[in-house]
Amino acid sequence: MPLSLNPDRAGQAGALTVLTPIAPGAEPALRAYLEGLRAGPSPLSRLPRTHFGRWVIVPDLVAEDEREPTRLESPQLLFTASFDGPLDAYLDELCRVLAAEAREIWGRCTGVPSPPEGAALKAYLRAHHQRTGYFVAAYPQAAVDEVRAALSQRDAVIAFARAAQEMDPAALQAAFHERLGG
Amino acid sequence: MAIAEAPSPGPLTATGTDPRNVDGQAICITVFSAVKWWGRPWLPLVFLYARLVPSSTGTLARLSFIHFARWTLVRRLPEQRLRHPQLFFESNFNGGWEEYIDAFSHILTRGMTVFWGSSYGFPKPLPTGRFKAYIKRHELVASHFYSAYPEATTTIVLSALELDEKLRAFRARTKGMDPEAFARAWQAFLTEVQGCL
Repeated sequence: MPLSLNPDRAGQAGALTVLTPIAPGAEPALRAYLEGLRAGPSPLSRLPRTHFGRWVIVPDLVAEDEREPTRLESPQLLFTASFDGPLDAYLDELCRVLAAEAREIWGRCTGVPSPPEGAALKAYLRAHHQRTGYFVAAYPQAAVDEVRAALSQRDAVIAFARAAQEMDPAALQAAFHERLGG
Repeated sequence: MAIAEAPSPGPLTATGTDPRNVDGQAICITVFSAVKWWGRPWLPLVFLYARLVPSSTGTLARLSFIHFARWTLVRRLPEQRLRHPQLFFESNFNGGWEEYIDAFSHILTRGMTVFWGSSYGFPKPLPTGRFKAYIKRHELVASHFYSAYPEATTTIVLSALELDEKLRAFRARTKGMDPEAFARAWQAFLTEVQGCL
């Protein structure tokens, strides 16, 4: 794991954690909207630098044995992403590309600018960003497109290795250059 | 005493978690726990130490099923005062929920105590039954979870990245070889990368 003094970073990967208060009465509709996103491609797939992302509704906090447990005054919407590159550029992209979804999601939160888009939405998300304490990444230097390319290439190598078993040396070399480059 | 429960989870999948926490092979876990007064100064020191001394969390890095994970101490929310700070933990991993918590309990026993020891009600990582019940009580189901490469496990991603590096080297060292030498090099390459395939 490379040394990183910025707690929101691990290598080139960044951690974004945003907690925003859900407007009174808006939780059921927000939950229905978010759960409905499973029916199609995730909107996060349109942010090509997102490795993983989630929206989670926090209805309240669970207490154990504390004397005065904290109760949330309003349920919170948690959004997190593990992404490539600088946070600023990622938020710019999110606010631009997910403008329609942002209206349905953060538009149901308290204090959000109207309309919830562009620079105003970015400022809102930044203001509600929770700084990470400790962030762990298994492959901190690999961007999403690099991971995907490496996975495709691995499939290609496996397929080629099978196909090449019976090839003579000249055919093997020619096929390798054709299918795996070099 | 639980003052609030997350909405009832749906039926568990073969992975041992709610289907909403699953995207392909990827599983997410989301946990909040209230932190005792001494966790407020303690946890930032733990996080700092973990960042400055990467070898201190080497075991965590070697758990081959975690893509990304994070711990955050939530001290305040903009619109409300928190009587107790909250420790937020999330992980993006593959495998099964039970196996994941088992690995945390058995392999990272001391580490789990360091991270969660200041949380109210933390039962110690072992025996795992009580620890799993604790995590279940504090876990939230995602309303939407996304992975950019849902069918790839962490091990496959790491293997693919290693293979990419070795394939580049192979291309470079076989450039200009005659076919017979290339065929021998290819066989040696397959042996070298068999763990990545």
